[in-house]
Amino acid sequence: MSALSQTAVELRRAAVEARSRWSSSAWLSLGALVVAAVVPFLSLPGVRVDALANTAYLALAATALGLIVGPGGLPSLGTGAFMAIGAFTSGLLVARSGWPLEPAALAGAAAALVAGLLTGGVVRLRPAFVAVSTWLLAWLVWLFLLAFPSVSGGAQGLILPPKSLLGMNATPTVHFEVALGLTALIALAVYALRRGAPGLELSALRQAPALAVSLGVRLERRRLAALAFSAAVAGLAGGLSVQLQAVADPNAYDPFLSFKLLVAVLLGGAAATLGPAVGVALLGLIGLVSGPLARLLQLPLERFDAAVAALLLVFVLAFGGEGLLPWALRYVRRPKPWTRRAVAAPARTAPGPNDPVLAAHGLRKAFGGVVAVDGFELELRRGETAALIGPNGSGKTTALRLIAGAIPPDAGGIELDGADVTAAGAADRVALGIARTLQTMSAFPELTALQNVLVGRAPRRHAGGLVRTGLATPRARRELQASATAAFEALALVGLDQVAGAPTLELTTSQRRLVALAAAIATEPQVLLVDELAAGAGPDELETLAEAVERIRERGVAVLVVEHNLRLVRRVADRVLVLRAGAIVAEGSAAEVAASSVVQEAYLGKARL
Amino acid sequence: MRRLVIFLAGVALLAAGCGGSSTSSSPKNLVIAVDVPVTGSPYIAQTIRQGVELATSNLNGGGGVRVGKQSYMLRVKPYDNHLSARQAVEDTRRALDAGAVTIVTDGTGVDATWQLARQKGVSISITYDGGSGLVDAEKRPNVFRIAPTNHGIAFRYAEYLIPKKLKVGLLSDDSAYGREGASDVAKAFSENPESVALKLTLPAGQPDLSAQILRARRSGATALLVWGQPPTIAAVLSAARSIGWQVPVYTPPTGADPFIRQQLADHPKWVDGLTFASGRLTAEVGTGPFTNFQSQYEAAYGPDPVGVKTSNGQKVVQPPEFGMYSYDFIHVLVAAITHAGSVEPAKVTSALNQVTAQGANGDARGFNEHNHDGVVDDDIYFARFHDMTYQPVQDDPLSATLPPIAQTR
Repeated sequence: MSALSQTAVELRRAAVEARSRWSSSAWLSLGALVVAAVVPFLSLPGVRVDALANTAYLALAATALGLIVGPGGLPSLGTGAFMAIGAFTSGLLVARSGWPLEPAALAGAAAALVAGLLTGGVVRLRPAFVAVSTWLLAWLVWLFLLAFPSVSGGAQGLILPPKSLLGMNATPTVHFEVALGLTALIALAVYALRRGAPGLELSALRQAPALAVSLGVRLERRRLAALAFSAAVAGLAGGLSVQLQAVADPNAYDPFLSFKLLVAVLLGGAAATLGPAVGVALLGLIGLVSGPLARLLQLPLERFDAAVAALLLVFVLAFGGEGLLPWALRYVRRPKPWTRRAVAAPARTAPGPNDPVLAAHGLRKAFGGVVAVDGFELELRRGETAALIGPNGSGKTTALRLIAGAIPPDAGGIELDGADVTAAGAADRVALGIARTLQTMSAFPELTALQNVLVGRAPRRHAGGLVRTGLATPRARRELQASATAAFEALALVGLDQVAGAPTLELTTSQRRLVALAAAIATEPQVLLVDELAAGAGPDELETLAEAVERIRERGVAVLVVEHNLRLVRRVADRVLVLRAGAIVAEGSAAEVAASSVVQEAYLGKARL
Repeated sequence: MRRLVIFLAGVALLAAGCGGSSTSSSPKNLVIAVDVPVTGSPYIAQTIRQGVELATSNLNGGGGVRVGKQSYMLRVKPYDNHLSARQAVEDTRRALDAGAVTIVTDGTGVDATWQLARQKGVSISITYDGGSGLVDAEKRPNVFRIAPTNHGIAFRYAEYLIPKKLKVGLLSDDSAYGREGASDVAKAFSENPESVALKLTLPAGQPDLSAQILRARRSGATALLVWGQPPTIAAVLSAARSIGWQVPVYTPPTGADPFIRQQLADHPKWVDGLTFASGRLTAEVGTGPFTNFQSQYEAAYGPDPVGVKTSNGQKVVQPPEFGMYSYDFIHVLVAAITHAGSVEPAKVTSALNQVTAQGANGDARGFNEHNHDGVVDDDIYFARFHDMTYQPVQDDPLSATLPPIAQTR
């Protein structure tokens, strides 16, 4: 098949997909876009096209910011700084080097992208510290511009000569249409990102970072990519809008611009793709009516619009901080009840040869003066379920974390399939085939069961990056489909395929544990580490959990269960290892261990398996 | 039928005649835009806007501006540029859309706005910023200024201080205003480097400048010329006087800003001796014209209280200096409209080069094709504070001829 015909096929397929997902919201968005596009030609009283174009550029920056504030949960206060970097890069290239506007604006976006990557270290921080760090960035960029008038043009700003835009005279109307078109394109990209792997993983990282990382989601890479994307779009908006303004003025990029953009995102609603743009439009509308209103009320407020916006924000936050658009959509859209879906039985992988898959040698880990694990030895075979038991504080969870790569060992090594993986981090080990379920956080509360499991596909994605997903390439769409199928199979394996669409909050505790198990299975592990699966489970639930573990083992996965519930241990474990003071002191079948006088006296007291 | 046609034609002619008559007799509006930093520098913004409003109010009271058979009422449209060039561009676009015949501004963003205004033939008048590059009669034919220039002030200081054999410490803050002034001062003193003890840049907005003032004192400076924002000048006075250094301090017009006296209200003696340069408030004709203007200004808006009192308890008020400049510009503008016989902005801008009008202080204000600065360097005088009010100095030939202006109520 020629490239041309292949492209045609893919386009047809994309059109079919788009048509199948077309909804009333899509019609509403398209209608709003068309109405907005004709506004400059209506000569409405009191409406200025240059102000509209400025608002559209702010909406462009805010739409991209929505990705990191919404799914990412990172309240960035640095978008104004990225706009400033884009604006002054573009401005300097146009004013001093005579560049055309389009490449200069792209250079502005590239400069902002680099700045975003350089400041990306903040993504590891907690949201409050992200806000503080990016706020400092906004101040630093602004103070830099003020301190170097040779760059910024000083109090009079950097004067830009008139330029054409896309071959047309760059009038405010042309700027507005370009800004609107770009905003629509970025909104489509953000929509695709939110629906795709990046949005899902960002959301998972926001809700439970440790759980997401344990499923192989790469925290820094995902968040950094989102921050850089947002920075680049803000830089593009800055690089283009500065030409509209005819002057690059440091005062136009003070830290309060960043604050205003974040307020717009929160006001409009970060949970909806178009929420931030709605927020910006709302702030613009407030600015439009606040002047006459202030005069009417004879209020001596110079920044009446800011006061009204602040009041509105307080109301939004007081009502849960959801934002106006998601709130409105809740009344427009009726939530679709999740339906039970039948699925074919998952294809089981043939159990591999009963050879060792995981080996731990002489693992040691101390926390200060407390030695948690010392001389830990373990060997796991394919298709085997081993249970690690021991009294509280014996080092079971620490051993599990060492094997999973959540913490580095002080000494010793770990081999997977004969390869040394000691230096690999948690996400790398998931990709290599060591998955872990966590003791406390069992699922992502805001996602459905299926979405939870989809997070576990992170290490198996190859076309789930920001660019491919944002552009909705055929490969990315195919992979998304394949991931959904694999996730569904994993859910079926634990017996939850019929509640795939159910929100996690509607599931029982044991169902959530099974969802976590399915998410771990979705990573396609060779070794599965299960921490306290049965904590608090009733007898019926215990049986369900045990069956799930057995089905997993039947797929040839080596399972290591850390468990206090001895009934489950007895039910699933081929081999039981007893841990004392960080080292294995007894090993054998459940009956053998139960009969061991050493175990009974030293660790189990009078309890019997 | 014929009679009916004649009757209808007569009615139509009558109606047309009435319409024409009413058009010529009912006054039209002529928009004057005022773009000032209400947010950022409210005192300057207020005094400039009030100067324009006072002039337009007086003119409208006299029937407005008459061009041929048509009369025009002047309508002031205020904008707030937030001290931001970008906002000034936006305000200029709004003003042009509103059909403004001129834009009166403090000077914010003029580098960016003059071309926009020129495209529609609209003039821009600066009534505060004395920056050197802002006004150029050839390159920026639509930009005019009635305000003392930085260049003029710097050279007047050079010719005033150098003969006194003082070793001058040239201090400037790192604000845009400070940087621009420092450049002009450096040029003015460049021919006499032996009179300069040191050049020092001060951080704008920092309340404690003790270290910098100590350095200036150690340099052997016997006078300080401080070019900066009012808070910088207040901080310099505080630092110098608090260590007992009675060095004479000279400043640009910002030295007269009420902020400094408010800051030092607890130490009125620290203000004594502070000297500033500005455009003269009175002309050869005496105090009459300015006093008259000040009375009208205060009758309309009330006096501008400084917020401090003299030693005998009298309230100190600020003379409306920058209000005077914007007031004067409106009168020059009206003279230009009359001269042009048109309210078309391009014609009015062109006519601004050919007219003069009597200013509020009695001086003739006007421009020509080669000079768009309405305050000439020779009109710059020096005044010195004593007991929270200022008087022209007596050791400068021009200043010594000027009478003091009443500043207490």
